[in-house]
Amino acid sequence: MDLKDEASIAMLPAESRAPMPHLAIDIGGSLIKLVYYSRDGDWLPEDNKIWSSKESLGVSNGEGNHPLSEGRLHFAKFETSKINDCIEFIRSKQLHVGGQHHEVPSKNKIIIKATGGGAFKFTDLFKEKLGIVLDKEDEMDCLVAGVNFLLKAVQREAFFYMDGQKQFVQIDHKDLYPYLLVNIGSGVSMIKVDGDGKFERVSGTSVGGGTFWGLGRLLTKCQSFDELLELSHVGNNRVIDMLVGDIYGGTDYAKIGLSSTNIASSFGKAISVDKELEDYQPEDISRSLLRMISNNIGQIAYLNALRYGLKRIFFGGFFIRGHAYTMDTISVAVHYWSKGEAQAMFLRHEGFLGALGAFASYERHGFDDLTAHQLAQLCPRRESCSEGTLHSAPHCDVIKEKKTL
Amino acid sequence: MAGPSEDYQNSLGNDDIKDQEDAHESSDPVDEGKDTEGDSMAHPASNSIHRSSSRPQLDLSKAAIQGNFEERDPTILLPNQSDDISHLALDIGGSLIKLVYFSRHEDQSTIDKRKKTVKLRLGISNSNRRSYPILGGRLHFVKFETHKINECLEFIDSKQLHCSGVDSRHWGSESPNSQPINNANNAVIKATGGGAFKFADLFREKLGVSIEKEDEMDCLVAGANFLLKAIRHEAFTHIEGQKEFVQIDHNELFPYLLVNIGSGVSMIKVDGDGKFQRVSGTNVGGGTYWGLGRLLTKCKSFDELLELSQRGDNRTIDMLVGDIYGGMDYSKIGLSASTIASSFGKAISENKELEDYRPEDISLSLLRMISYNIGQISYLNALRFGLKRIFFGGFFIRGHAYTMDTISFAVHFWSRGEMQAMFLRHEGFLGALGAFMSYEKHGLDDLMVHQLVERFPMGAPYTGGKIHGPPLADLNEKISWMEKFVQKGNEITAPVPMAKPGTTGLGGFEVPSSKGGTLRSDASALNVGVLHLVPTLEVFPLLADAKTYEPNTIDLSETGELDYWFTVLLEHLPDLVDKAVASEGGTDDAKRRGDAFARAFSAHMARLMEEPAAYGKMGLANLLELREECLREFQFVDAYRSIKQRENEASLAVLPDLLMELDSMSEETRLLTLIEGVLAANIFDWGSRACVDLYHKGTIIEIYRMSRNKMQRPWRVDDFDEFKKRMLGSGPQKPRPHRRALLFVDNSGADIVLGMLPLARELLRRGTEVVLVANSLPALNDITAMELPEIVAEAAKHCDILRRAAEAGGLLVDAMTNSIDGSKENSSSVPLMVVENGCGSPCIDLRQVSSELAALAKDADLVILEGMGRALHTNLYARFKCDALKLAMVKNQRLAEKLVKGKIYDCVCKYEPAG
Repeated sequence: MDLKDEASIAMLPAESRAPMPHLAIDIGGSLIKLVYYSRDGDWLPEDNKIWSSKESLGVSNGEGNHPLSEGRLHFAKFETSKINDCIEFIRSKQLHVGGQHHEVPSKNKIIIKATGGGAFKFTDLFKEKLGIVLDKEDEMDCLVAGVNFLLKAVQREAFFYMDGQKQFVQIDHKDLYPYLLVNIGSGVSMIKVDGDGKFERVSGTSVGGGTFWGLGRLLTKCQSFDELLELSHVGNNRVIDMLVGDIYGGTDYAKIGLSSTNIASSFGKAISVDKELEDYQPEDISRSLLRMISNNIGQIAYLNALRYGLKRIFFGGFFIRGHAYTMDTISVAVHYWSKGEAQAMFLRHEGFLGALGAFASYERHGFDDLTAHQLAQLCPRRESCSEGTLHSAPHCDVIKEKKTL
Repeated sequence: MAGPSEDYQNSLGNDDIKDQEDAHESSDPVDEGKDTEGDSMAHPASNSIHRSSSRPQLDLSKAAIQGNFEERDPTILLPNQSDDISHLALDIGGSLIKLVYFSRHEDQSTIDKRKKTVKLRLGISNSNRRSYPILGGRLHFVKFETHKINECLEFIDSKQLHCSGVDSRHWGSESPNSQPINNANNAVIKATGGGAFKFADLFREKLGVSIEKEDEMDCLVAGANFLLKAIRHEAFTHIEGQKEFVQIDHNELFPYLLVNIGSGVSMIKVDGDGKFQRVSGTNVGGGTYWGLGRLLTKCKSFDELLELSQRGDNRTIDMLVGDIYGGMDYSKIGLSASTIASSFGKAISENKELEDYRPEDISLSLLRMISYNIGQISYLNALRFGLKRIFFGGFFIRGHAYTMDTISFAVHFWSRGEMQAMFLRHEGFLGALGAFMSYEKHGLDDLMVHQLVERFPMGAPYTGGKIHGPPLADLNEKISWMEKFVQKGNEITAPVPMAKPGTTGLGGFEVPSSKGGTLRSDASALNVGVLHLVPTLEVFPLLADAKTYEPNTIDLSETGELDYWFTVLLEHLPDLVDKAVASEGGTDDAKRRGDAFARAFSAHMARLMEEPAAYGKMGLANLLELREECLREFQFVDAYRSIKQRENEASLAVLPDLLMELDSMSEETRLLTLIEGVLAANIFDWGSRACVDLYHKGTIIEIYRMSRNKMQRPWRVDDFDEFKKRMLGSGPQKPRPHRRALLFVDNSGADIVLGMLPLARELLRRGTEVVLVANSLPALNDITAMELPEIVAEAAKHCDILRRAAEAGGLLVDAMTNSIDGSKENSSSVPLMVVENGCGSPCIDLRQVSSELAALAKDADLVILEGMGRALHTNLYARFKCDALKLAMVKNQRLAEKLVKGKIYDCVCKYEPAG
């Protein structure tokens, strides 16, 4: 099965007056993320691996008085290079027509909300293959909407990650803003969020997930991003990185607060004339790369948080993927550069922020009110999805690994 | 498997802030035991010789620059045990070894009676010379590759840099934690950089010297502070391939951010001398570029990798915003389609493997990734600490144009144009220089910017400090080197036409359009000259505002200027070589040297055409001086010697007639005739192509008379009436004559003898003291201060006014004894004096003049600048505290058009009263 990743969360979008599409899509440089809605009982037989909550909520939309029917939000990922699999997936589930039990809307034109750069690039393809029009939603808008939704609506969405331990944080949504959202996709965007729909992209860096995977592929011949990440677990970056101790003969350069195990120069040992690429272990390369990139992102994020006086930094995007070591390096970087004054936070649904935001952008989804009012109140009553089970088989190893930490 | 955070937990401690205050000052390091010199100048301990043991202090305070130039506080006695003392400091980095060493000027103690008399007049005793706080000498900058450390050791050995004059008791550190040095033979060399630890044994074994390690950061900061204060145009911006030098006010230098990009990157906030803290850094630095680059491209050297980047196209590897957004800009957030969204983001493609990418593209992509990242983090830190200036240095930059462009671009981009990245010409040498500064008595503490002259001899300075092969020991080796150098063909063969500089575009992180063809890898590595420390140079005290003074009228960076002067100088070159060779007797040796000179000068010119900023900020004056220096380098001491002599004689022969003619005139007519005479005589100029042609058409007197007859007023710039009013007054009341006039003279022959000398005589007659200011060293056919006394003596034979004045000025010491009139009563004439200006160029930079001139200027209230070099090429716009008269004939069509909107042979008589 080419389905890369799929997960669902029990959420209850409003049943709107008119039929609404039950799909939103975030087409990034390397991954396509889908968020789609199904009512309970809509399951296709092959969905059986997907965790589904037995719990359901009846929520009435105060304003429109439209009862929200019980249902779920599903989350799925595909590699962008395998976009045809994604299209096939949508077709097979008839997601683009609002689920197989729905009528095809009267108008011929089906509009699907989409975000990410690929929403522009693949417009024609979607039209041709599925006969749908991608309605492009602004990427940043979607990201922020997605995060705001999650942080307000889902309990135990945000967590710290230190020393292999997740520590969930309950954030008072009244005290949520402003915060810095660092979205690590192929590149990195740093967004200062001041409220719903109020945000500014203040910074970013081109050294992101694409750099990790791109350089990693060139250096290690790994076949997938996950494989590369996996390798990093067992690597030893000291073989490749030049440490402070390598320069100062094993002694700390304590005068300026650098210990001998500080990385002085990432890949700095690779300048050795005695060794070629083949002489290095892919594991070590992967780890060195991961640390270089995570550390760099953590540093720039911290400097930007400092600049704008932001207390919280949330990291999201596909680069993280719940990967323990990645989160750890980012956390350590933020901790290091801030001298312990700032902490990196992560989101459980970090990969789906954009898609979720796009989904939230349907005008009559009932999300707005839900997120703003009801769901926040509902949260305490509601058990959140149990962690780690959001992912389907392909991520099993990662999940297991996480549990051992 | 290591726990995910194991390394980090161990490694990332608190980023302790280092803030070196002036903690412990060592006691007065002037070792009294060594103070054996006869003169017993007291050294006031108050003045800047206190220094902490680990860190040099510079005291280049503004007060020193602005202040009182007459009063020189004697500070440090020079290390007095050796005349040819040399000192050496090293920065041994991972890839390069940088050497800074000091050599004393050859003693120019030729008996100079004129100088003596001037000094006597000024009450400067000879021993007072030692009161100069610094040792005159030269600071050399050279580099070696670290893996060729043996070449470095041989170099040191061949020049005996490690032992000459280094007395460990005197020069060794007196820091409390260093071992006392018992073995007098065991010289100590200050060194910094990681290799200082690594190679200590090698140095001991091969050279028998101890390496004393100096803290790297201390050295970096000390080096940067020294350069930024002591060298006028050390810092420059680099935008779109264009370098622009920035003059930084010492008083506004601090605080700044120093970003040192070595293997890793350190970001240092500098608050003052020895006051700094490492505030940040990144592990993504030069080592990352070279390390990853090696793994990805199989390049054999860092330079090769850099070179590759010039021809790269990062779009094949980087994921651009346009790649994601289907070619459209994501303009909402200010990202253009060509902005890099993800470095190496396209390399995730499954269709291509490492082998399928061009190494050029990989190198460029890597370079941009790292440069942008450093620029961004630097900017964020500068912002964080409110620092206006960011200086970037370290081996990663290596003067590489594209690297500087990308860093500049990143800083510009992230700061939205509010901050600029700056670079340093000597960037590779910060550490070594700082290590040098850490010697207790390097004598550089009090050095001021006007006491430094940078020269660019052939050899290491020409190649950006790099030593190729064995050191050049003597002239002969230099000539051979020059011959080989040119024969290599690919280096300097022919002047390279100036190409449009590469551009990075401003729309985003865009791909530069044309950098590949225009920038050679070594092209942008700036030439690092030899710094001549000339303690006797001073700022001319009569400048109205020394801070804003700019000597050059012609800025060679203006469009077309360099091309024009390039052509002019090259056309003139064969004639100059002929003269030079003839002046040395036309021997085979002279011919060979002449060839070498022509090659060397052409090489300089080609270099400049290729990289106009190669020698720092260049004006026409600097270019002309470069030529003179180049002549001297190949030991052509005075190319126009015989011509000057001939013309002086011919002119002196007709002087009596001219003086008689003048004496028959009324005062008013005479003044006009004198000024006409100066302008007319200024036509005799071997520096002007047009005039050289004239020479072949008539005798000196013919030309002079013809020229004077053509002096029809009004001149192109004609302030004569004002000048006359000041001199003669307008009513019955005569104005008070000037007290002392400084006459900056130009050419030999008619110019001095028939032009300036009669004018001087007129001033003397009116009771004004006259100082003839002439070059210290020959330049073209300019008269020198050495030659003047003889001419004056000869002229004095026929003129009583000149004779008495010259006697009073002490110019006729020898002449008097021979004179029949020796017994004649010495009248109370005002003196006629001669003083050297401190330079050897056809132009003059009044920020750097001899101390004698500066002293004599004290009482002067009239400055007369004569000739193109001193009144037009330079100083045309200079303002003085006293009356100033600028006289010149414009003997160049282009200059005439540009400066006075006139034509060739137009005259300038510019009078500017004081205030």
